[in-house]
Amino acid sequence: MAKVKVATVWLEGCSGCHMSFLDIDEAIIDLAKVVEFTRSPITDIKEFVPVDVGIVEGSVGNTEEEEVLKELRAHCKTLMAWGDCACFGGVCAMRSTFDKEEVLRRGYIETESTDKGKIPCPPGVPALLDQVKPANHVVKVDCYVPGCPPEPKAILYALNELLAGRIPVLPSDMMRFD
Amino acid sequence: MKEITLTINGKQVKGKDGNTVLDVCQANGIDLPTLCHHKGISDVGACRLCVVEIERERRPVPACTYPARDGLVIQTHNEKLEKYRRLILELLFTERNHLCAQCVSSGDCELQSLAYKYQMDNARYPYSWPALPVDPVNDYLVIDHNRCILCGRCIRTCDEIVGVHTLDFGYRGWKDMVIADLNQPLGKSSCISCGACFQVCPTGAIFSKSSAYKGRPEECQKISSVCQICGVGCKIEALVKDNRLIRIDSPDLASNRGILCHKGRFTTLDRKHERINTALVRNSHGKLEPSPLSEAINTAAKKLTELKARYGNNSIAGIASSQASNESLKAFKEFITVTIGSKLIDTIDGDIYRTIIQGINTYHDKARLDIETSIEEILKADCILVAGANPLESHPVVGAYIVLAARQNKAKLIVIDPAQNSFAYHTNIWLKPREGKEALALNVLLKATLDKGSKKGSAQKKKIASSLSNTNVRQGSEQVGIEADDLLEAAEMLSKARRNIIIYGDGILQNKSPMLITSLLNLAVIVGNPSTGNPRIISLKPKGNSRGAWDMGLANPSQSIMKNLTLNGVKALYLLLADDYVEASELPILHKGMEFIVVQSSYLSSATSKANIVLPSPIWAEVGGKYSTLDGVIKSTSRLIKSTDDIKADAEIFHEISKHIEKK
Repeated sequence: MAKVKVATVWLEGCSGCHMSFLDIDEAIIDLAKVVEFTRSPITDIKEFVPVDVGIVEGSVGNTEEEEVLKELRAHCKTLMAWGDCACFGGVCAMRSTFDKEEVLRRGYIETESTDKGKIPCPPGVPALLDQVKPANHVVKVDCYVPGCPPEPKAILYALNELLAGRIPVLPSDMMRFD
Repeated sequence: MKEITLTINGKQVKGKDGNTVLDVCQANGIDLPTLCHHKGISDVGACRLCVVEIERERRPVPACTYPARDGLVIQTHNEKLEKYRRLILELLFTERNHLCAQCVSSGDCELQSLAYKYQMDNARYPYSWPALPVDPVNDYLVIDHNRCILCGRCIRTCDEIVGVHTLDFGYRGWKDMVIADLNQPLGKSSCISCGACFQVCPTGAIFSKSSAYKGRPEECQKISSVCQICGVGCKIEALVKDNRLIRIDSPDLASNRGILCHKGRFTTLDRKHERINTALVRNSHGKLEPSPLSEAINTAAKKLTELKARYGNNSIAGIASSQASNESLKAFKEFITVTIGSKLIDTIDGDIYRTIIQGINTYHDKARLDIETSIEEILKADCILVAGANPLESHPVVGAYIVLAARQNKAKLIVIDPAQNSFAYHTNIWLKPREGKEALALNVLLKATLDKGSKKGSAQKKKIASSLSNTNVRQGSEQVGIEADDLLEAAEMLSKARRNIIIYGDGILQNKSPMLITSLLNLAVIVGNPSTGNPRIISLKPKGNSRGAWDMGLANPSQSIMKNLTLNGVKALYLLLADDYVEASELPILHKGMEFIVVQSSYLSSATSKANIVLPSPIWAEVGGKYSTLDGVIKSTSRLIKSTDDIKADAEIFHEISKHIEKK
């Protein structure tokens, strides 16, 4: 049987969800027998190919992240969101209550250690969006594994559900937002 | 109450007339999600999570506000209702900032728990991200409006249970938010920092600085106890983790003495004074230095034995703080009066006891402290006279009861106090006598009340009347600086009321004049209901266990040991401060050339720095003990945390010293 192809992206997040995935310990050996990781921070492959499952960690806070997420959506049959950032906005969304210009000024000019700071601007770097969004506010998301980071067992549960051909919904006792 | 029968989810269930549909569901084990509902406060149907379908109602209705009736047919759980509930949760999550990873209350949040229960793994609606303030101005509490779901629990608790009604909604619609008074910062408002709002807040919108990030309730052990700080004796539930007090809650806010105040709820968590963890002995250079406890006890015993032999038993005096437990005080009394054999024993607040008891004895020679009534009487009163007391500061739960009675029961509130008083908003009449004229003011009020009331009465009433035959209300009012009309109006209120209560405190007691207390008692008799015997009066005693110490006879009823140490030729002083923080300035006796001073205390202070030997005392949370409330109920506290090994219970130390003294 052909392996299930998976692509993962790491957007505005801390990589904690990917770390938590690697924390599934020996279960990764069995998983590797049936799953092939294509584009992913884990494989360091950068090109998208059509896959069965797309996985997104992190929220969407700038134009590049928006583009990557849309591309992932276009290449996958099922899209799964990992972690509070992708599911809800998470810690990254702290900036959303503030004005974008104010955030950039505070970060690049008014930081106590900055001398003659300059706000980086496109096209050199991607432009910040006005607000940080969870993945489902940008593209259609099929299933979610919230948590900051999600427990390895929750990630494994969701992957096994997908492998069994079901769209996973975490049971209440696996749900966590922190 | 009439029983009613309803059909819920196809099953017949019983309820009582007057129940809401939610009451009936809860009584029958039907679990409905709620956020704005809370035990002890009214229901408003704000969160809509408890919506149910009722036959012949066009729309789902909130169960918490729908009156249960005979014959109602109700659906509480079906696909449609569960869909609505999840939708409401999503709306709540997107309205403000409810990202748990950023929140101090994550893990202790009812909104979060419900989202888990409803498997709410995403929010479909756009976030509105309003820029809302965080109000950290108050010493103990923070209101983070970004976390608020506008359930109004805090507001109704502040109004209906605590009574001060500092919090309410401000603005309208989209801009609706919880505000203090007329939108003051919390620290500048009428808030009394009782923390009830913090306890009922279902999210992280109101949190306490003393508990934040110390641990989640689920990780804590919960221990029931009683607060002993001020003598009201409120029930508490302490959350303890790794031998550290994390949080103090009320086990039931709506129950008797269940409100708590800032002292009980917060000050126990972060005490500002430096603890004494080891015994200290003054060395040959005159400096206090740490010593093993057994050695310090030995040295103290040796010196006390020596002084006893040289100058006699009565050269050693013992003075205790009434903050100590009954157990500590009992052991102390035995130590001073039996082991040492000295007659000289007193409490720091002994002068206040003598003032009260002499005042009571002038009123009736056989009367004792137990003629005082209970705190709960405040809530039954229709007229309250507060004389020289500021209970919102000194005994905040008593203060809250007074405000509750004034606001909810429409009790008339009369204040006699030359000083500023925090009841300003709720007072009907504020009589401000000139300083030093309190006694006359009371007698003039007494006379005015006698004039208003019926001429018939008991012998006691007649005796009081004859003693005031020379008092003239008009003349007297000029002398004390109070408008005669105010006095007459107060007298009218007092004589018309059916259930009066008189509360007096510091302002009266500081005068050290028993006459004031006699006058207040006489007033209580004049306005009291003759059928119920005792006059309804309470004194607000200064320390957490004053009543216990006085009832156990630590303070001499007639003679002040505190003041007359030099007169009595005292050479040594044994001071039991326990966990009371006392400054040397409160104890002038420390300066009077003692040869030897032992201080047993939990905290370093200017008082301990005068000692030759300092012995460590545990704080109340480290030992279980008995304490008497100011209205004379003995309550037991539990041990909440362990002290370090070098700290022994007070009674144990007295036992050890006694053993050494008896051997010699």
